[in-house]
Amino acid sequence: MKTFADLQFPGRLIAVEGLDGSGKSTQIYLLKRWLEAEGIKVYFSEWNSSELVKSATSKGKKRELLTPTTFSLIHATDFADRYERHLMPLLRAGYIVLCDRYIFTAFARDVTRGCPPDWVRGNYSFACAPDLTMFFKADLDVSLNRILEGRPKLKFFEAGMDLRLSNDPYESFKIFQGRILDQYLAMTKEFNFVIIDANQAVEKQQVIVRKLVSDRIDLKRFKRRSLLPLPPSLHSRRPEPEPEELDKEEDKMA
Amino acid sequence: MNNSTHRFYGHGIPHVDSEELGGRLIVVEGADGSGRSTQIADLVSWLETSGHATVQVGLKRSTLVSEELERAQDGNVLSRTTLALFYATDFADQLENLILPALKSGFIVLADRYIYTLMARDMVRGMDESWLKNLYGIAPEPDAVFYLSVEPEELVQRNLSKTATLDYWESGMDLGFSRDLFDSFLKYQGAMGEAFRQLQKTYHFDIIDANRSVSVVNKELRKKISLLLAEE
Repeated sequence: MKTFADLQFPGRLIAVEGLDGSGKSTQIYLLKRWLEAEGIKVYFSEWNSSELVKSATSKGKKRELLTPTTFSLIHATDFADRYERHLMPLLRAGYIVLCDRYIFTAFARDVTRGCPPDWVRGNYSFACAPDLTMFFKADLDVSLNRILEGRPKLKFFEAGMDLRLSNDPYESFKIFQGRILDQYLAMTKEFNFVIIDANQAVEKQQVIVRKLVSDRIDLKRFKRRSLLPLPPSLHSRRPEPEPEELDKEEDKMA
Repeated sequence: MNNSTHRFYGHGIPHVDSEELGGRLIVVEGADGSGRSTQIADLVSWLETSGHATVQVGLKRSTLVSEELERAQDGNVLSRTTLALFYATDFADQLENLILPALKSGFIVLADRYIYTLMARDMVRGMDESWLKNLYGIAPEPDAVFYLSVEPEELVQRNLSKTATLDYWESGMDLGFSRDLFDSFLKYQGAMGEAFRQLQKTYHFDIIDANRSVSVVNKELRKKISLLLAEE
């Protein structure tokens, strides 16, 4: 699998992966803040956020219409839309693109749901490998506690209820997350994940993240020449949740 | 009718045993104006009159994504990989909710186009054939696939006599072959025919000369389907 650097793209892609509650989103947000302050051309993209595909995904989740196969395909559609319309042109234009979750999320979840690994990987084979993938590895209990502390209402797919692992959503979520973690760990070597110890303090992790990024990527090459406005990121213009869009939080996670 | 089983082209669908799939899966492929819908409507009434239970499926009819797909296409904002995967999602939803349950119950499923049209469209737009083969490895192999082949020039006449215009997508206007709808239609349908001939090498479907009249084509289809149903 070739990276964007291998293919002589002017831009670079950095991805973070990890379980829900591993703290990866916080870390990539802080990385983005730093790069922006440094005057670097940066764009942030989040898993499952294509405007175009979103209503189908929400409907599928709300009405529990999704099977492992359609769950996989609809997320691949979402990813392809973001990849072709945002990531590719930005990478051609010399941006540093930050991805909160990348194809490895699909590899881990879809295979856990029973899709054949070759099939899933084949479907995503249009995508290049990130130039840097950081995997936030927290103890399973730590991630689970962060999510379950407030006893949130877990959504059907988020808790992996479609796998019929347990009738109790919390129990199901735990087993499901454990299996996803196993899938991630099995991919670590193959896809050159850099493992970050996510049990540490936020600040400590961020120091490691920033050092890693500046060691791997020659950041001064990505400085913007003039102060042009940043392109709108899907993240920053998320509207207030409307009653019918209450599953926004679930979309982000599941 | 016997309970012949089906095979998947590739990996198939998780947790579905192809051994459980009886029934019959009959596919009719062809461009708009090839007589596809007319033939299927006739075959359905013929089969049902003879006591066979049928189910019909087609493209862009899924509960899950058909509306969204329609809306996205109206704006013509999808890139080719996205379009390919969106259509695959639509297909998979109907496959799991209609086709597979019907086959399990011994129905005759009539598909008004199947994965081949989707693959041909994507190939014309530059998608890799092996990528498509992997993607559509979820599809069961039909018992028969009839490709209603019509010359592009004849398709033009039929479409114009029906709607007095040519459809944007059936003319491949998104591809920029030509700004002229008429020229684009001919070029696009030529390219689609080419893609079907390429796919025929792998999928061996039955190419039916549909330049002929509806009734002549219908007779040929009924004959072939009768033989199929008589097979043990």
